[in-house]
Amino acid sequence: MIYRSISFLVLIFIIFLRFNLTKPNYKNGDFVKITSKVYNEPIVYDRQQYLKLQGLKLYLPKYPSVTYGDNVVVTGQINNGKLVSPKLVEIKSDKKGLYSFRQKLINFYKSSLPEPYASLVAGTVIGSKNMPEDFWNKLKDTGTAHIVVASGTNVTMTAAFLIGLLTVFLKRRVAIWITMAGIFAYVVISGFDAPIIRAGIMGSILLIGQEKGRLVNSWRILIYSGLIMLLIKPLWITDLGFILSFVATISLMLLQKKIDNRLKIIPAGIREGLSTSLAAQVGVAPIIFVTFGQFNILSPIINALVLWTIPYIMVVGALSGIVGLIVPVLGRLILYVAFPFLLWFTKILEIFSY
Amino acid sequence: MVYKNIRNILVLILITVWLAVFNIDNKLHIIACDVGQGDAILIQKNTTQILIDSGSGNKVLDCLGRYMPFWDRQIELAISTHIDKDHSGGFVDVFNRYKIVNFLTNDLNNPMYDTLTARVIKKVVGGSGTKVIYPDVGMVIRVGVIYLDILHPYEGFSSKNTNDYSVVNFVRYGNFKAIFTGDMENDTWDKIINTTKIEPVDYIKISHHGSKNGTSEKLLQILKPKIAIISVGKNSYGHPSEEVINLLKKYNIKILRTDLEGDVDYIVD
Repeated sequence: MIYRSISFLVLIFIIFLRFNLTKPNYKNGDFVKITSKVYNEPIVYDRQQYLKLQGLKLYLPKYPSVTYGDNVVVTGQINNGKLVSPKLVEIKSDKKGLYSFRQKLINFYKSSLPEPYASLVAGTVIGSKNMPEDFWNKLKDTGTAHIVVASGTNVTMTAAFLIGLLTVFLKRRVAIWITMAGIFAYVVISGFDAPIIRAGIMGSILLIGQEKGRLVNSWRILIYSGLIMLLIKPLWITDLGFILSFVATISLMLLQKKIDNRLKIIPAGIREGLSTSLAAQVGVAPIIFVTFGQFNILSPIINALVLWTIPYIMVVGALSGIVGLIVPVLGRLILYVAFPFLLWFTKILEIFSY
Repeated sequence: MVYKNIRNILVLILITVWLAVFNIDNKLHIIACDVGQGDAILIQKNTTQILIDSGSGNKVLDCLGRYMPFWDRQIELAISTHIDKDHSGGFVDVFNRYKIVNFLTNDLNNPMYDTLTARVIKKVVGGSGTKVIYPDVGMVIRVGVIYLDILHPYEGFSSKNTNDYSVVNFVRYGNFKAIFTGDMENDTWDKIINTTKIEPVDYIKISHHGSKNGTSEKLLQILKPKIAIISVGKNSYGHPSEEVINLLKKYNIKILRTDLEGDVDYIVD
């Protein structure tokens, strides 16, 4: 026990040390040239695109468009964490591999369905954040944006789907390792966002535990996932997505079962969504309110009304995307089967955003 | 269990088919999309679409999504009246998402058209398999049961003002007639009126977002429209101008504005 406490303290000390060592040392007014891979999907606005490079925020003209996974060289001047008057000097796109797979999927959805349905599928399946402004505002107003920006739930579902499918054909050991590779691929495809990485690490630890036949405590997994992430990138402690993801998970673990038990009157299909979002809201709502000034008292109800459609949208969307990259017409037909769910989701948002 | 899943999937397919078929009516819709300051007009009959201009950004996609059947990914004719960003800036997104069969536009190689918008459009049009058509006075284009008569510009037209290049055209459908005007300005209007036969219309898309240099009393006396659409958003130019609004009121023309009404869906039986 004593050794564990000491190792725990040492870990926190290392994180603290790394935080101070890796903190970028920019001064206001510095001219810099950044050479970097784009690790987050740029957000495209009417006239410009927003991206974050090495902790700096910057706005570039809309064209040429930068995508997740590109290697770029940008010059500009530092001003309070922003890069002012940035210039795109060079851009190299990755034509193969997982990054371009993501782009192809997004293109498939966006050329197969109109807005806002296309963005809803692309967001749900692989966490693409580029969507029409109106729709994004509706998601934020109703407290449902977390669904579309690829949450940890997606990772859990991917893992559950893979392990369920693979254990039919393969030995459990092999299935577990392939599933872990699948989780890793999914994390890369959906963009390195904190909630997805958190779920990816937690899922992987859980799977390793299963493979070794050890019982694992979910609290311990959560804490170690957080520490591992901070060890790799200490700057995450200031990332709102990171904080929200952990707070939401903690309140889920504390409250979801208890709330669910008290809602026995409500039909099972909707109850799960309601208890999940009620539990998560307890922890998350204050943080969102302080940072964005937003709070929608109806949010748990709206979530309950739409959350049940997500697994279907994900499964049909992912399947259609994979088929669609080989035989576009067939993929499109499969995608259309998700349309009733997409229509339901967007109609509910429309009703509640007035 | 397996049978239950198959049953559920079949029910789902049935719902999808119902949603796909149920939404179509057999009337002509002229939808002035609410794209803020700019023009984007969707003319739709069944699954045939004509898109006149595209606004400046991607708001046009929302509008197309609202009115086109979700499975229809083809626009039969797109018209870029002229290259100004508030009219043609959205075409790149439209080309990326939809198959455009025909694209009516002024010559994109015209030196006047050496703008970022034009360069990006040229690039997407090049790789899309779209047939590009250049406008010329007297040209008649048939799209399904809808006819378009081109009134301006003529081949070899040149000007220092991009607005003067605006494609002006009639849309005929049965006895119904509408005129679309881009950002045409009064000087060039006068030339069009003097050289081309112009008949009264039912519907006019007011030129240049209601600017006073786009609509003259003489023009309204010739066109005698019953309905006037002003496609306008928040702007610093004072569009639409008091003068034009008063002129329309004077002739008892019903005014519909996208900044006040949102999308204006005008239905012709």
